[in-house]
Amino acid sequence: MTFYLLQALNGCAYGMLLFLLAAGLSLIFGLMEIVNLAHGGFYLLGAYLGLSIVRWTGSFWLALAIAPLITGGAGFLLEWPFLRPLYRRTHLDQILLTFGFAFVLTDLTRWLWGAGVQSLPAPRGLDQSVVILGTLFPAYRLFVIGAGAALALGLWLGLVRSRLGAVVRAGVANREMTQALGIDVAAVFTGVFVFGTALAGLAGVAAAPILGVFPGVDFEILIVTLIVVVVGGLGTFSGAFWGGLLIGEAETFGKVLVPQAALVVIYIVMAAVLLARPAGLFGGRAR
Amino acid sequence: MNRAPGARTFLPASGASGGRRVVPVLVAAALLLVPLAGSRFAATTLTEMLIFAIFAMSLDLLVGYTGLVSLGHAAPFGVAAYAVALLSTHGSVALAATLPAAIVAGTAAAALIGVFALRAAGVYFLMLTLAFAQMAYAVAHEWAGVTGGTNGLSGIPRPVLPGADLGGTVPFYYLVLLLGGLAALVLARITGSPFGAALAGVRENEARMRAMGYDTFRLKMAAFAIAGAAAALSGALYAYYNGFVSPDVLYWTTSGQVLVMVLLGGARTLAGPAVGAAAVLLLQNLASSYTERWTLILGAAFILVVLAAPSGLAGAAARLGGARRRLRAVDPGAGPLPPAPSEGTAR
Amino acid sequence: MGEDRRVASRKAITRRTLLCGAAGAGLAGAAVAGIGSPAARGFGVPAVLAAAPVKVGLLVSYSKVYGQLGEDITAGMTLYLDGVGWTAGGRRITWIREDEEIDPQVGVRKARKLIEADGVDLLTGIVATPTAYAIRDMVHNSKTILVVSNAGGNLLTRARRSPYIFRVSFTSWQVSAPFGKWFYDNVARTAVLTAANYGFGTESLAAFKETFVPAGGRVTGEVLPPLNNTDYAPYIAQIQKLGPEATYNFYSGSDAVRFLQAAQQYGLTKASRTTGAGFMVEQDVLPAEGAAALGIYSPLHWALTLQNPENLAFTRAYKARFKRDASVFAMQGYDAARVIVEGLNRAGGNTADKDRLVEAMTAVRFASPRGPFEFDPNTHNVIQSVYVRQVRQVGRDIANVAFVNLGRIADPGK
Repeated sequence: MTFYLLQALNGCAYGMLLFLLAAGLSLIFGLMEIVNLAHGGFYLLGAYLGLSIVRWTGSFWLALAIAPLITGGAGFLLEWPFLRPLYRRTHLDQILLTFGFAFVLTDLTRWLWGAGVQSLPAPRGLDQSVVILGTLFPAYRLFVIGAGAALALGLWLGLVRSRLGAVVRAGVANREMTQALGIDVAAVFTGVFVFGTALAGLAGVAAAPILGVFPGVDFEILIVTLIVVVVGGLGTFSGAFWGGLLIGEAETFGKVLVPQAALVVIYIVMAAVLLARPAGLFGGRAR
Repeated sequence: MNRAPGARTFLPASGASGGRRVVPVLVAAALLLVPLAGSRFAATTLTEMLIFAIFAMSLDLLVGYTGLVSLGHAAPFGVAAYAVALLSTHGSVALAATLPAAIVAGTAAAALIGVFALRAAGVYFLMLTLAFAQMAYAVAHEWAGVTGGTNGLSGIPRPVLPGADLGGTVPFYYLVLLLGGLAALVLARITGSPFGAALAGVRENEARMRAMGYDTFRLKMAAFAIAGAAAALSGALYAYYNGFVSPDVLYWTTSGQVLVMVLLGGARTLAGPAVGAAAVLLLQNLASSYTERWTLILGAAFILVVLAAPSGLAGAAARLGGARRRLRAVDPGAGPLPPAPSEGTAR
Repeated sequence: MGEDRRVASRKAITRRTLLCGAAGAGLAGAAVAGIGSPAARGFGVPAVLAAAPVKVGLLVSYSKVYGQLGEDITAGMTLYLDGVGWTAGGRRITWIREDEEIDPQVGVRKARKLIEADGVDLLTGIVATPTAYAIRDMVHNSKTILVVSNAGGNLLTRARRSPYIFRVSFTSWQVSAPFGKWFYDNVARTAVLTAANYGFGTESLAAFKETFVPAGGRVTGEVLPPLNNTDYAPYIAQIQKLGPEATYNFYSGSDAVRFLQAAQQYGLTKASRTTGAGFMVEQDVLPAEGAAALGIYSPLHWALTLQNPENLAFTRAYKARFKRDASVFAMQGYDAARVIVEGLNRAGGNTADKDRLVEAMTAVRFASPRGPFEFDPNTHNVIQSVYVRQVRQVGRDIANVAFVNLGRIADPGK
C-alpha cells in the first residue's frame, strides 16, 4: 500500500511539472489558436538560463525569478516581428514557422551552452530527502507539488477575478466581439504569448533538478506537453491542470503496472480519452 | 472564428501554354538522363529524393487537399518498410509478391488508424494520428524477436524482377522513378477528379458537404487509405533502398519530417511536396557538410519560407515563372476560396 | 455551385502542378548534378598519386543527446592528428565530418555521401550501434575500411563482422562480462539488474549474467525502463521494493544522470551498493551527477586517473588543448586516429590496395592511454584491459579511480 501511495506522490510531482508546461501552451492556443511548437525550445532556454544564473549568483531563487523574464522576452521576439504578421494566414504556416523556431532554439542553446548533459542542483534546504511513510522522499519534489498547486490557484484566480483575466477569457470565447468592444486584441495576444513562454521558462528552471538539462530535452518535452494539453482540452486552463495530473499519474503507474507498454502508456491514455471525448476532458467543442 | 483561409488563394497559373509544356518535358528528360550522365551518387541521392517525394505527395493528399494534418504518416511508411524487411529476409525476394504485400500491410495500418483518428478534428486529429503511429513504433521497438528491436533488421536484398537485375544503383533508380511517376500520376488524377473536388469540399466546409448529402467520414477514410497506400509504396522502396529498417522509420520525427517537406514545398500542389522533399534532404546533406550549425540553417530556412514564400517553395517558383510572363491577373483560374466557418483547415 | 468549384479547382491544380513540377524538379536535378561532380572526379584519381591527401570520413553525432560524444571523439582525433602533423605514410590527411544524428536512416545517408560522393579512403566514428549495423553492408560491399570509435554492439564482432571493419572501442560483452565474477566475489551474492531497454542495455545485462550466475550469483529481479525515460522515480520505487543487496545498471547520457540523481534522492544508493557499466559514471555525465555518483563501482577499459605514462601525457595534453577533462570517448577518438595513421604508415600510404591496408591495420599495436592496444586478428576488435573503477573524491574533483585490472579481454566472437 505504501508503495502505491508513494507512486501516487511521484506521479503528482511529475504531473505538476507537466501542468507548468502545459499551462503556457494551452493559454496561447486558447487565445490565438496557435500551437506553438517552439514551446519546448523556450523550456530548454529557461532551463539553461537558470543554470547560468545559478552559476553566476549561486541563487536558485534568483534563477527561478529571472530566467522566465528573459524567456518571455525571447517569446516577444518571436511573436511581435514574426508571428503577428501571420495571424491571418493558415495554421500550416504557423506550424512551419514555430517548428523553424524550435530548430533555431535547439541549435542556439547548444551553441551557447554546449552539448553535454548538465544538471541544476535543488536549492539549499530542498536538496535533502524527508521520511514519508517510512521511506525517503526528495524534499524538492514536495516543493514542486506545493508550488505547482499554489501557482495553479493563483493563475486561476487571475483568470477568473482580474480585469485582465476577463479580457483574456473574452478573447478566448469570441475574438471579434472582444475587438468590437474596443480592446486592443493584438496587444493582448502579445501579452499572452509572452506570458505563456515565460511559463515555459519557469517550468524549465523548476524541472531542471529532476529532469536535467541537455540538447534534445526540448522535443521530448514538447510532445508530452502537447499530449497533456490535448487530453485536458485545448485552451482550457482546468484542462491543463487535470490533464497534467492525469498524464503524470498515468505515466508513473503505467510504467509500474505494465512495464511492456512503458513507451506508449501516455499515448494509449491520450487515445482512450480522445476516443471517448474527441475534444479532450474539458474541451467544449472539437476544433 | 473566422480564420480566413481564403487568404491562401490558388496560385497564378497564367501565361503562355508553350512554356508550361516545355518545362515538364525538360524535367522528365533530366530525371531520365541524370543517372546516365552523372555519378553513382547523383543517382542514389535522386533515388532517395524520389522516395521521399512520393512520401510527401501522399501526405499532401491529406494535408493540402483534404485538410487533415496528420502527424502519424510514418505508420503506413514504416509498416510497409518492415513488411519488406521481414518478407525479404525470410525468402520472398520477388518484387511482384513482396511489394503488393507491403502496400497492403501499410494501407491496412493507415485504414485502422483512420477509423479511430477521423472521429476527431484539427489538433485532436493530429495528436491521435501521432498516438497510433507511436504505438506502431513501440511494437517495432519492443518486439525484438521479430523486428530486431532498436538494432533493426539489416541485410535486406534488392528485389528480384524476372528479366531485370535491380541490384545496381541505376536500375533501381529507374524502378523508383517508374513507380514514383505512376504514383504521382494516380495522385494527380485523384486530386483532379470529382472525388478530389469532394475532398476539397470537406477541407473547406465539412458541415456543408454533409448537408449536401456527402458521407464525409467515408470520403476522409478513402483519402486516408489512398494516402496510406502511396506512403506504403515509398516505405517499401525505402527499405529496399537502405537495405535495412529500424524503429526510427516509425518514430514521430519521421512523420514530422515529411510534414515539414509538405509545408516547405507548398501544400495543395503535388509538385510542392516533391520539391520540399528534395530541398529538405539537400539542406540536411549539404549544409551539414559545411557547418555544424546546420540545424540552425534548417530552422532559419523554414522561417524564411513562411515569411517570404507564403505558398511554399513551389508557390514561389510558380510566382517567379508567372512574373516572367507578366502577371496579367492575380488569379484567372479560381477566385479566393469561400471563407470557411468554424471548422476549416487544420488547427 | 459545387460543380463550378470542382471544375475551377481541377483546372488550377493541373496547371499549377505542371508549373511547379517543372521548376522544382529542375532545381533538384541541377543541385544533384552539382553534388555529383566531385564524386566523378574522385573515382578518376589514380591510386598511385601519393601526393593526393588521404581523405578520412568522420561520422559521429554532433546533435541531440549524444552530441558530446561526437565532440569528444573529434577532439581526441584532433589531438593525435595535430601531434603527427596531419600526415601518414607520406600523405597529408584531410577529413570530412558528418553528423550521424543518432538516427540510422540519417547515418546511412551520410555514410553513402562520404563513400560515394566524397570518395573517402577511410571511414571512422559511429557512435550508435544501430547506425553501425545499418551501414555494415554498404561498408563491406564497397570495401571501405571503417574504424569504429564507439558503437559497441556485439554482433559487429560476431555474426555481422566484416574484415573491413575495425573497432577500437569495446563490445558490450567486453565491458560487462568480466565484471560479473568480480561483483560476486567483492560486492554481493545477489543482484538486481536494471538497464535502459534497448539492444546495448540488454546485451550488457546478459554479459554480466554470463559470469555472475555460474559463479553462484542470483539475480533477484530485472527492471528495464525505456530508453530516454523522463522520470525515474517510479522505477526507483520498483527497485526498492525488490530490496536489493546491490544493483548492476546500464545507463548512459541523460538516462544515467536522471537515474543516479533519483536513486540518490530516494535513498537507493545508500540502501544498496550501486554498480554499473562504466558509461553510467563516465566523464561526459559525471560532473552533472556530482555527489550522487560517489562510491559507485564500474567496469570500463579506461579511467581518467589511470596511472600510466601514455595516459598522463594524453589527459594533460587534452586538458591543455580543450580546457576540459578527457573522456573515454576522447580516448577512443585518439586511438582511432592512431590506428589510422600507423596503419597508413605500415602500408606506405597506399589506400588503393584495400587488402594490404587491412593487413597493415590488423598488425597495429601500441601502448595506448588505456594500456596495451592490439587487434584480435580474427574479429578486428580491440583486445584490451578492463578495469574496475570507483568514483571517489580526488582533490577538489570527483573522478573514477581504477583499482583492479580484470585482465586482457578479447570478445569471444570468432
